[in-house]
Amino acid sequence: MKYPKSMLLEMLKKMMEIRYFEEKVVDQYARGAVPGLAHLYIGEEAVAVGACMNLTDEDYITSTHRGHGHCIAKGGDLKPMMAELFGKRTGYCKGKGGSMHIAAFDKGIIGAMGIVGSGGPIAVGAALGIKKQNLDRVVICFFGDGASNEGATHEAMNFASLHKVPVIFVCENNLYGISVAQHRHQAIKDIAIRAAGYAMPGVVVDGMDVLAVYEAVKEAVKRAKSGKGPTLIECKTYRFRGHHEGDPNLGLRYRTKDEIEEWKKRCPILCFKEKLIKEKIAKKKEIDQIEEDVKRRVEEAFVYAMQSPFPKPEQALEDLFA
Amino acid sequence: MTKMRELTFREAVVEALDIALERDPKVFLLGEDIGYYGGLFQATQGLMQKYGEDRVMDSPISESAILGAGIGSAIVGMHPIVEIMNIDFLPVCMDQLVNQAAKMHYMFGGQMKIPLVIRTTCGAGRGGAAHHAQATHAAFMHFPGIKIVIPGTPHDVKGLLFTAIEDENPVLFIEDKMMYNLKGEVPEGYYTVPFGKAAIRHEGKDITIVATMRMIHKALTVANEMEKEGIGIEVIDPRTLCPLDKETILHSFKKTGKMIIVDEGNRVGNFGSEVASIIAEEAVEYIQAPILKVTAPHVPVPYSPILEKEFYIPNEDGIRKAIHKVMEYA
Amino acid sequence: MAVEVVLPALGLTVEKGTILKWIKKEGEVVKKGESLYEVEADKVTTEVESPASGILKKILIPEGIEVPILTVVAVITDPAEPLPEKYRSMEILAPPQIQEPLREVTPVSFEIKALPAARRLAKERGIDLSLIKGSGPGGTILLKDVESFILRGVQTGQKVLVTPTARKLAEREGISLSSIKGTGISGRIMKADVMEAKVLPMPSPESKPAPAGIKPLPVSKYQLGQVIRMNSMRKVIAKRMAQSKFTAPHIYFFNDVDMEKLLTLREEIVDEWERDEGVRISINDFLIKAVALTLREYPIVNSMVSGEEIHIFQEINIGLAVAMEDGLIVPAIPKADQLTLIEIARYRADLVERAHQAKLTIEEMERGTFTISSLAQYDITFFTAILNPPQSGILTLGKVEERPVVRDGQVVIRRIMREGLSVDHRIIDGAVAAQFLQSLKKKLEKPYYTFMIR
Repeated sequence: MKYPKSMLLEMLKKMMEIRYFEEKVVDQYARGAVPGLAHLYIGEEAVAVGACMNLTDEDYITSTHRGHGHCIAKGGDLKPMMAELFGKRTGYCKGKGGSMHIAAFDKGIIGAMGIVGSGGPIAVGAALGIKKQNLDRVVICFFGDGASNEGATHEAMNFASLHKVPVIFVCENNLYGISVAQHRHQAIKDIAIRAAGYAMPGVVVDGMDVLAVYEAVKEAVKRAKSGKGPTLIECKTYRFRGHHEGDPNLGLRYRTKDEIEEWKKRCPILCFKEKLIKEKIAKKKEIDQIEEDVKRRVEEAFVYAMQSPFPKPEQALEDLFA
Repeated sequence: MTKMRELTFREAVVEALDIALERDPKVFLLGEDIGYYGGLFQATQGLMQKYGEDRVMDSPISESAILGAGIGSAIVGMHPIVEIMNIDFLPVCMDQLVNQAAKMHYMFGGQMKIPLVIRTTCGAGRGGAAHHAQATHAAFMHFPGIKIVIPGTPHDVKGLLFTAIEDENPVLFIEDKMMYNLKGEVPEGYYTVPFGKAAIRHEGKDITIVATMRMIHKALTVANEMEKEGIGIEVIDPRTLCPLDKETILHSFKKTGKMIIVDEGNRVGNFGSEVASIIAEEAVEYIQAPILKVTAPHVPVPYSPILEKEFYIPNEDGIRKAIHKVMEYA
Repeated sequence: MAVEVVLPALGLTVEKGTILKWIKKEGEVVKKGESLYEVEADKVTTEVESPASGILKKILIPEGIEVPILTVVAVITDPAEPLPEKYRSMEILAPPQIQEPLREVTPVSFEIKALPAARRLAKERGIDLSLIKGSGPGGTILLKDVESFILRGVQTGQKVLVTPTARKLAEREGISLSSIKGTGISGRIMKADVMEAKVLPMPSPESKPAPAGIKPLPVSKYQLGQVIRMNSMRKVIAKRMAQSKFTAPHIYFFNDVDMEKLLTLREEIVDEWERDEGVRISINDFLIKAVALTLREYPIVNSMVSGEEIHIFQEINIGLAVAMEDGLIVPAIPKADQLTLIEIARYRADLVERAHQAKLTIEEMERGTFTISSLAQYDITFFTAILNPPQSGILTLGKVEERPVVRDGQVVIRRIMREGLSVDHRIIDGAVAAQFLQSLKKKLEKPYYTFMIR
């Protein structure tokens, strides 16, 4: 394979981090330790990891309500992330953001927006700022198939393409806008074709294949940094969990068990693991070692979050300027 | 000693933006028709020609993109001044304003600053009708995380604009479009007018009138009349709604015990309602008369000049009536 | 390691769920992610996944039971691991019954209308706002009303009673009528009052110097000791008593009544009447009847002063002073002269009972035209009473006691009660009062005659 082994194993590790982090969230949400809502990324790990593998800490991303994966892939530390989900003072946002609003500005994570489609204009703004300051950076705007129908997304794409700002629109098409299947919320199959309306490239990739995503985004980053403007990359993917924890039977009100099982066979982590072993890039033992290490670190993050203090009530007024 | 000369409110805005663009390369303007056209109200007149399209950017008619571009670029180090042509258009990008710009600093635990100025215009009187003339400034007071500036004089609009640009948080800067031709003394060069410091425009001992934007001048006309009748009116211009100078308002009220708020916003949830609430909470023992609001009625801005000027816009006569009613308790 | 299976948090609104079915049975091997059981919550059935791999060692909540979310419903252990001790004795707890708290209805009362600024000043100076009449819209008390009240140091607002001559004089001399204290009827300002006000400036209470050689006592706010705020009943009593005492010049009359026959009469009938009529007749009932009959003979005693007129009441309604824990109220028996003793007894019993339950109507408390106040249950020989305005007469009753008296030249022991009468001397002369009292005495001393025929 043409990629360095270290990078491939890093990709696997990141995907596992997301997976095990969120499985812990599943368990802790059920046990009432995670207040609010938890929208999980399980199944979609290849998108965030494949995309962010192209970025450095200096580059930016905007994220969504389903943002844990983006944050981990972009270098977010598991401990303050878990603490944030638990509403603790030691969380990335001091317990004020929660699951839907994690930001880690030192890692270039501008923040996760709970409003569908809100990230687009802000990502474009960040890219405009990069362009105006002649910085060698890009912005990735993660959004979903649901957000592809929001006006703000289209305003953002038009603006970005017009001013050729270094932004990449990564659409995670997981086939459902909450509970509404794609064919019931838009007349098109490939969201990528909308790029044509803004005179930018539109690419469809297999969102379950971390390397496919990596390649597509790599090309887009090159294009953005050379001043040619944005790219729309549509990643076909699937969430294995419900819309959020508590969505009954993992969403069986609007999708079938067979469909879920079919997609699970294409699990990005399972497939990538097999590929690495099959192509003799890594031994199973080596991979098991990585997996155990990830599990241990997730457990450490959990303990850290559990043991962290809650904010004091009066700290609700911190970081308020008006 | 700074030299003073008479400028219109509009000229003061242009001059402030000009100086801001000159002083700081991180400042840029973005908005609808602000470049070649010079702004719908000519408040960016000549700036594109002077600073180029990169720094005075005409934008698509995309309010969410304008505001988002402002937020994002501010986060990564720029000092954007974006313009939403009319305050009536802000609901189009309400999400970007009240959910994102206002909340990001807080909900992300203070990790980033958003030094963004959002200029917009309000006010009826030119037949703007329902979508181009409302005065909805008070509505934004409801959202923590937005500073709100409502300049009342050419002097203040310039000084407050500099303060807004210096601020590292989102500022909603509202210009009363009916004041653009108002003339007044304006110092040359750079100076700031602080946020959260009200101006007492007229002193008096009998009634406190808190008036905003153009209504300040209507209140002053009546205050001068009343002086001849022996009724002392204290006219206060809050200058900024957020932060609000409660201290000056309460101090004056404790002196007079009578309060009238004159504000062009619609009647329900008016800025005056908040002033009345502050008094009820913090100075109830000083109330000597009903607290009255002179506001636009609770209807959308009507189009016909008769409806707009005679009925909708609060006027001197309304202020006089309120004064007489309050003086029944004197 | 044992892992607890909980009824999971199922979204934002679910608070409890019913376990419909255990898909896995106790002792079965389970894998993480496999469905363990079905729960129904908010009409939706959800399969709950196993949080761990191992043996479903113990099911704690059986099918069909509803439990709150986060309840531990089962335990999963490693294959060889025994069930930890703490789960062995676990029992299902009945869900707690939530009782609706009783809501108390607060009665609405309308207070005095006054501006907040006026209230503040009145409070600071300890002024009762009910003494001030508001000059603002709708009678609202304005700040200036309180200020002028303080300045004048007297009651403003209320309509000033003044004679025409006095008014003219005051106007001519430029003296504010509200600054003059009237000495006429009901405080009416007379010409003399105005003249006096013209000559004498109002003395200031603070300006009086202490006599030489006397060290003034240090004035401390603690000197007052306990301060008791008057309740509304006390305020009314205070106001009315002062008004009565300083308006109506009282005169007092007393005589002794030989109660022997009346008491004997009562003793003879009281038990049988109670059996037949269901009410126990008291001495007071006889007195009420007797007083009512006497008032019929002396209508002037059943009257009130109104300006320069005397209004004779049409009805004879006898008020009975009833002592309460924190004051006194005077419910009245209407048209007592026309009622039989039994009717009076029933009325009296009912009014007294309801007085103690605070269930009297205002009408019952205000209709009295003459009052009887009895302290017979105390060791009080006689006492004087202040008229209950606007009434002009009040009868006081001391205790009945055995005394030696002379009857037919012999000293005998008789049960004697001393009765007193206070009247408004403006309209009731001494002779009239004396005749009234004498007539009453006669009635009480000849009870068969008095009560048999009427």
